[in-house]
Amino acid sequence: MSIRAIILLILIGIGRLGFAQEISQDGQRITGLFPGISFERFASQIESKTEFRFYFDEKALSETQVNISAKENTLSQILTGIFEGSEFRFFIDERKRVFITQGAPLDNSLNPDFFKTLEDQQTLDSLQRQKDIDRVYSRNKLYILGETNPSKTGTATLRGNITSLENGTPVNGAIVFEKINYTRAISNDKGNYEIKLPTGRHVLFIQNLGGFVEQRQINLVGDGILDISIEENIISLSEVTISSEKMSNIGRPEMGVQKLNIASMKKIPAVLGEVDVIRSILTLPGVQTVGEASVGFNVRGGAADQNLILYNHSTIYNPSHLFGLFSAFNPDLVESVDLYKAGVPVKYGGRLSSVLNVNGKYGNPDKVTVRGGIGLLTGRLSVDGPLGPNTSFSLGARSTYSDWLLKILEENTDFQNGAANFYDFDLHFSQKIGQKNVLRFNGYGSRDRFRFDPDTTFQYQNQNFNLGWTHYFNEKLEMEVVLGRDSYEFGIEGRDNPSNAYNFGFEIKQNFAKANFRYELDERHTLQFGINALQYQLSPGSIAPEGPESIVVPKTVSQEQAFETSIFLGDDFEVNDKITVNYGARYVFYSFVGPNTVNIYQEGVPRTPASLIGERTYGSGETIQSYSGPEFRISGRYAINNISSVKLGYNTNRQFIHLLTNNAAIAPTDIWKLSDPHIKPQWGDQISLGYYRNFKVDKYEFSVEAYHRNMRNLIDFRSGAVLILNEALEQSVLNTDGRAYGAEFLLRKNQGKLSGWVSYTYSRSLLRTAAAETAEKINNGEWYPSNFDQPHNVVLVTNYAWSRRFSTSLLGNYSTGRPITLPVAKFNYGGSERVYFSERNAYRIPDYFRLDFSMNIEGNHKVRKLAHSSWSIGVYNLLGRRNPYSVYFTPVNGVLKGYQLSIFAEPIPFITYNFRF
Amino acid sequence: MGRKPALLFDLLVLIAITTACRDPFEPEVTDADLGILVVEGFIETNGAESKITLSRTAPISQTDLSRPEMGASLRLVSETGEMWQFAETAAGEYKLAEILDNNKIYELSISLPDGSEFKSKPMKPIVSPEIEEVGFLRDEFGVEIFLSTQGNEEAEYFLWEYKEHWIFFPGVISFLKFEKGQVSTRGEDERIDRCWTSNIFPKIILQDAARFENNTILQRELVRIPNMSEKLSRRYSIEITQRALDREAYDFWEILRKNSDDIGGIFSPLPSILKSNIIPAEGTVREAIGHISIGQSSSKRIYINNADVAPWRVFIPDYEFCIIFPDTIPPNQAALAFNNDTRVPAREIWDGPALLGYHASTKQCTDCTLRGTNKAPDFWEN
Repeated sequence: MSIRAIILLILIGIGRLGFAQEISQDGQRITGLFPGISFERFASQIESKTEFRFYFDEKALSETQVNISAKENTLSQILTGIFEGSEFRFFIDERKRVFITQGAPLDNSLNPDFFKTLEDQQTLDSLQRQKDIDRVYSRNKLYILGETNPSKTGTATLRGNITSLENGTPVNGAIVFEKINYTRAISNDKGNYEIKLPTGRHVLFIQNLGGFVEQRQINLVGDGILDISIEENIISLSEVTISSEKMSNIGRPEMGVQKLNIASMKKIPAVLGEVDVIRSILTLPGVQTVGEASVGFNVRGGAADQNLILYNHSTIYNPSHLFGLFSAFNPDLVESVDLYKAGVPVKYGGRLSSVLNVNGKYGNPDKVTVRGGIGLLTGRLSVDGPLGPNTSFSLGARSTYSDWLLKILEENTDFQNGAANFYDFDLHFSQKIGQKNVLRFNGYGSRDRFRFDPDTTFQYQNQNFNLGWTHYFNEKLEMEVVLGRDSYEFGIEGRDNPSNAYNFGFEIKQNFAKANFRYELDERHTLQFGINALQYQLSPGSIAPEGPESIVVPKTVSQEQAFETSIFLGDDFEVNDKITVNYGARYVFYSFVGPNTVNIYQEGVPRTPASLIGERTYGSGETIQSYSGPEFRISGRYAINNISSVKLGYNTNRQFIHLLTNNAAIAPTDIWKLSDPHIKPQWGDQISLGYYRNFKVDKYEFSVEAYHRNMRNLIDFRSGAVLILNEALEQSVLNTDGRAYGAEFLLRKNQGKLSGWVSYTYSRSLLRTAAAETAEKINNGEWYPSNFDQPHNVVLVTNYAWSRRFSTSLLGNYSTGRPITLPVAKFNYGGSERVYFSERNAYRIPDYFRLDFSMNIEGNHKVRKLAHSSWSIGVYNLLGRRNPYSVYFTPVNGVLKGYQLSIFAEPIPFITYNFRF
Repeated sequence: MGRKPALLFDLLVLIAITTACRDPFEPEVTDADLGILVVEGFIETNGAESKITLSRTAPISQTDLSRPEMGASLRLVSETGEMWQFAETAAGEYKLAEILDNNKIYELSISLPDGSEFKSKPMKPIVSPEIEEVGFLRDEFGVEIFLSTQGNEEAEYFLWEYKEHWIFFPGVISFLKFEKGQVSTRGEDERIDRCWTSNIFPKIILQDAARFENNTILQRELVRIPNMSEKLSRRYSIEITQRALDREAYDFWEILRKNSDDIGGIFSPLPSILKSNIIPAEGTVREAIGHISIGQSSSKRIYINNADVAPWRVFIPDYEFCIIFPDTIPPNQAALAFNNDTRVPAREIWDGPALLGYHASTKQCTDCTLRGTNKAPDFWEN
């Protein structure tokens, strides 16, 4: 206790040094800015700088705000200013004791012991937290920012990032202001702010709505960077975050954009208790999945490979673990997620349907935090924090420690002998160099291994790293350059018997360079432009014998190389208060290059072995086929009034890499294929229209968006197509057109104890064998539903906060069953009963309905213990509904029997312990 | 000051056991009777019997699948104009036994009584190489029967069919019979203590030999006999027929197999369209199902004795609860005790030269002819 008191006194002493320049004690005159703080705080500040001691009734004064700027004023003048017009009176005695009373001024003769001393209480309170001490220190330290720039006189730009002191997440909507000229700036969703100030000394105030006001003493010499951590209380965190989303939903010109921060994701009950990025976005309108154990997700009727999944600039080709039970992102290292269903920003390209941008944390710049959790299957641990004044990092890992789940998956089938495990790790690192440069490094790796029987083991892994450099040229122009490599590979180890033991491998490597610029032309135009270059190196597959006895013939399908380069320019144009337009274009050059050998076919007939007339070999780097074309991104907003707006958007996209999958879901053994002379790049457009409205002072948020999409050069497969180790894939594919349309309704409640949303989506996704395709016509060339055509989808997400520490969440999910091709007749053939199938996807599996429930119990916030812990306890599939994943028919003892397969057929209870210190 | 971080790494985790599952599924699939023509068969070129079966598809809900297409006319025509007519030997079964030139191209035409006409795509005979080896291997899981063969450039795709026959014993061995009120010993032809049975639902096995060096298929597992199987009670025989197919036929069988065996798992492929090489003639709207191949098949038979795999315990579920009833039935009560369909005499009880009576068992447990036949198949070698 006494040791603590000494530490505090020393720190207050340091604080005094800092403040000495602001508050002169000469003749008890006071100089300082006290912006909107509580009287109690004001009193303690004065007490710490002067000999005055305050005595007052805290309760009575709890409503009083001090909002005053003092310069060489006496305390009497200041207090008069504060209490002017109020019922409070003050009295200062000769021992510099300040008494505040209600109604009448204090009689001097009253026993001062009647009031308790604030000093003791304040000391106690402060002592309880080292954090407070640190903060007092940062508040009073003078930060000298920027380098002297002779060309600039007068003003300089200060940029920085505002994060939460508690969990390091960016604070959206925090106000940064100084009170002399009332210059102010608001932080964006990434916590970034930018403010222009005259050079020289300032006191900056940083206020999070509903939170404390933080302050920094700065001496701005030139353009500089100042990152700030501010305290938020738990309740205001979500309210503030959502408040700014509300405004942006009405105000921002883009449409079809969904943002989720980790706080909202935590409120959604997750399977097996872990906050999960992909499962969270599946609760958003327009995002669907074909089944519970499937890897991908479908956005607005698009295939799973049409989603660009970026994790701090890295493309993640397989975003899941354990057949989709977990997504590949460690929730402790994720800050927020942006999903672009339409309105894809002009800087992104390469996929038709959506961009999922997962923002990883670069670490809290102020303190080291360790987080972790233990669930039924996985354990995770991460640490983030500063390494130096300009350096911060985050590092995390996650792994399975048990594969009990597979033991029960498909019990009584062939899978009991299975085994599965995975791990992933993350490293994010940020380094400021000088005032105008930030270097960032991101590394990510994951690996899965599983088998269903002892003979065959599957494994896959992602490896990604990139290095980024952000440079602020001046207050108008900033640049971000990122170089990196993404790789994904999978393998199959067959050990059935020694004579046919083999290893199969597939690999995709992608080197990329991006240069993105942002230029604020004037107050109405903000330009985005840049260039992206991508080099693909794809090994479509190789098989090699394993062991001396194996007689498997080694085979390697020749490597594919391609370059994809795009340039883009976009403009955010604020036409007037009502109309904002965001328009831009990308131009993409793609070339498929050698070394490679390409088959040549007769013109005008289906590509089959019979129409193969030759082949041509190309040398290294020689262009085999190139494609190029523009992409357009246009969206506009018309604000009807403060609370409602209408938006319209149109965009086109091109995609040069295709996932070849013959399953309903993505399987871990699906291969990717680059566009080549025979397989054309996919092209798609989307037109969308939306109406947005907030009700009851932004308490409720309503939106409806309708869209129509056309897609060309999609890939479907001829009957009996073999995709693996196929040197002539063009003989197995069918050029297919796609069409998708739908409407998404979302009603969201953001405030109060009960929060959450309900969404309804109507969507159709249809395919048709292209008219020019002659090899085979699926369903006679008519439109047929795609495998993920689920017209009706309702999602309900609710969270009820019973107290600050205890909340419950309920998630309901209904969707139409996915289409399936069913047997419509049976016959005997080859000694067994066989089935004859209907037209493609003519039937549907039964509808899907699931309820999940979870309770989140936070550790005690009042006891200032070092570790904060929370429990998440819940039940997945509360009703135990046997939602079929698929239905199928198989002969049992020669008689045809129909079965439906459910993955999670029973309620699955889960419990996860999370901690942070 | 320093409270220890409450790290609960030794946390006890509640694991609730749960199951993923398969349930029976009865979809409301159309009950409309499509009645699509199904053509199955293989045309042998070496003079062996070629059988082509014509039938029609049945609705999924129908239990009886036997819908032979009778009264059709099937003709095989060579490229040089020779013609052979198939004869209908049983309902929907059409047969032909001719020596055909392996170097010619053939077409099969089918005329149905309703007037619709079908014709096969041109077919080229493929001669299957001889099966090099059929062997077996005893391991901890049972017995694996494997095959080795050597393909060539013409014969790269193989299909095997097999027929299994074996001897089994009933739960209670009895040499007695009850006939005309008398218990007597059975004759050799009347034995019920030892029977042959066969596997009538074989699986099709396919292999693409091009995957392997020199098209060599080495010790390809064809059949697995699990431990305790009755197949190895005494003596077991398997005959494997090997056919070499062209790519299209191989694809057909592969899709047929995938569509039946491999549908509905987590990573199972979607069902594919089953293509046929039987094409409806102009004026016939309906398609047909099936793929007819022509060529020369080869076959090989092996026997496995119980002694080859000993020790081999046998468990036949049908005989699990078989016992000999302990009460002795005196000869004078035999007529009363055995004059029904369930109780049969199993043992004679002798006290020196005197017949004390019989121990009884059930017909289910003693009569192997209820599950098989007491006549050895024609080919059977002891």
